[in-house]
Amino acid sequence: MKNHLITNFYELPVEKLMNNHLWDIPIIEKNEDIINILNILSGRNHIWVVNTKKKKELIGVITEHDILTTLSPKDFSPYVFGVPDIRSLQHGTVKTAEDIMSTKIITCKPDEKIIDILKRMRKYQLRRLPVVKNKKLTGEITLHRLIQKYYKATQYYSLEEEG
Amino acid sequence: MTDTADEIQIFEIVLSVALALIFARLFGSLIDRLKQPPVIGEIFAGLLLGEFGLGILAGKSVTLFSVPIQLPQLSYTSEAFTFLAELGILFLMFLSGLEINFSDLKKVQKPSFFVAMGGVVAPLLLGTTVSYLLGLSWHIGLAMGLILVATSVGVPVRVLMDLQKLNTEVGLTILGAAVFDDVIGIILFVSVLGVASPMDVTFLGFKILIFFILFLFIGLKIIDKIFDLSEKIHLPKALLSLCLSIFLLYSFFAYQSGIAGITGAFVAGIVIGRAMKSRKVIDDIKTFGYGLFIPLFFVWVGANIDPTIFTTINAIGFTAAIIFVGIIAKIIGCGIGGKLAGMTNRKTLQVGIGMIPRLEMALIIAGAAISQGILIGEIGDQILATTVLLTIVTTLITPSLLRASFK
Repeated sequence: MKNHLITNFYELPVEKLMNNHLWDIPIIEKNEDIINILNILSGRNHIWVVNTKKKKELIGVITEHDILTTLSPKDFSPYVFGVPDIRSLQHGTVKTAEDIMSTKIITCKPDEKIIDILKRMRKYQLRRLPVVKNKKLTGEITLHRLIQKYYKATQYYSLEEEG
Repeated sequence: MTDTADEIQIFEIVLSVALALIFARLFGSLIDRLKQPPVIGEIFAGLLLGEFGLGILAGKSVTLFSVPIQLPQLSYTSEAFTFLAELGILFLMFLSGLEINFSDLKKVQKPSFFVAMGGVVAPLLLGTTVSYLLGLSWHIGLAMGLILVATSVGVPVRVLMDLQKLNTEVGLTILGAAVFDDVIGIILFVSVLGVASPMDVTFLGFKILIFFILFLFIGLKIIDKIFDLSEKIHLPKALLSLCLSIFLLYSFFAYQSGIAGITGAFVAGIVIGRAMKSRKVIDDIKTFGYGLFIPLFFVWVGANIDPTIFTTINAIGFTAAIIFVGIIAKIIGCGIGGKLAGMTNRKTLQVGIGMIPRLEMALIIAGAAISQGILIGEIGDQILATTVLLTIVTTLITPSLLRASFK
């Protein structure tokens, strides 16, 4: 029997399921102090970095993994070439969000389908994607949220219901 | 040759690759424990496996517990192994391009720029002149000078971290300068090839220009689009295949334009590294590079060392002179650069010492010069052996000199 629920789920646009409550999403400016970042990450898994909170232009992301690189003792690749990665809390080379964030961000647009989002998450091994419209951060879509939405739908809630 | 003979040959190569990887990692990690660059251990592994080490047993028959055993004919300098090593050089350059961060270059301050310039000009001039005075042609001398250009930043960074001095003016100057001279070294390699070719210099210049416009600027413009399009291919690791093919194509076309494959590989790295979606694929590329081809390159370097060249006074003298020039030229060149940028005497000396180590880039330039046929025969052997000794001496003396300079 064909699972209509999942096919409908796949076809939904991101904007129907994304979290667009920007006040609820961890967002910081690029010159935010590392101590505040640690504070946020002690409760969250990731932070989006924007140029200014007013413009909300997305320029980076910080995840727990970035903290692992700077928190753990420094270990160099056997063949150092060019500038080695010297980001380290121990050696005081990390001060602001800009020093630690990844600038390569895989994004999605509000009108893309959930099926493409799932494929992208799998391809790049990501659990969260920022939703970006004209370079501006408008929300986020996380695997956690997709699971939650799909589960609720199996319990006869509407897929598009808020919350 | 019969099929069976071919088959035996293939499996001899397979065995030599396996032994090369085992020995490289074994000696690499031993040297790492001694807090020295693992590359030196990998080169030693090559020396041990090569013709002047275990290689003497290749093809011999031995009797073990009265059972005669025919040992396989392994060669680490064979055409097949050289091919794998050359791929290693290309991978090393590709990964360097992938990881280079141009925003770091923009952040580089005036002192780093001056230090880098002084640290390039002095070794290049002195290295080339001394080689010429010792009887090499200008062209080979230029290759020798170029080998002395690029600093390996790994050694000073480790020491500075130990001393808690990385985040200081001296530390940041060394870091900035060392990226610059790597990039300058790669660009200047083109000039060595240019001198070699009888081709019209303007024609070569034109080809280089076309290459950079086509492959770097247009590449940077369209790479994100190519990645977007490639999302339509759902085969496993299709993105990796795409990146590898771009990298190999760039190397090929660079070679064809007279620019050297290594420059093409580096440019491919810059282009792919700038693509937003390259983040995950870089790890896959590292798996190939660091896991297979790059260690084979260092083993190949070791296996190509011919210790018997050091039986003449001339050869020993040449090597000693080049190593001396390599050390002094950095201290003088970077010192002048540092002074021009307004650093104190003590800091310029610290920076100069920090810039002494040569490693990866020196070996890449020597390796690429050999594979492009610029360095051949006895002179090639002499320069390779000199380069290896240069890397060992400079990386070994720097930590203690640098520590002393901070006391």
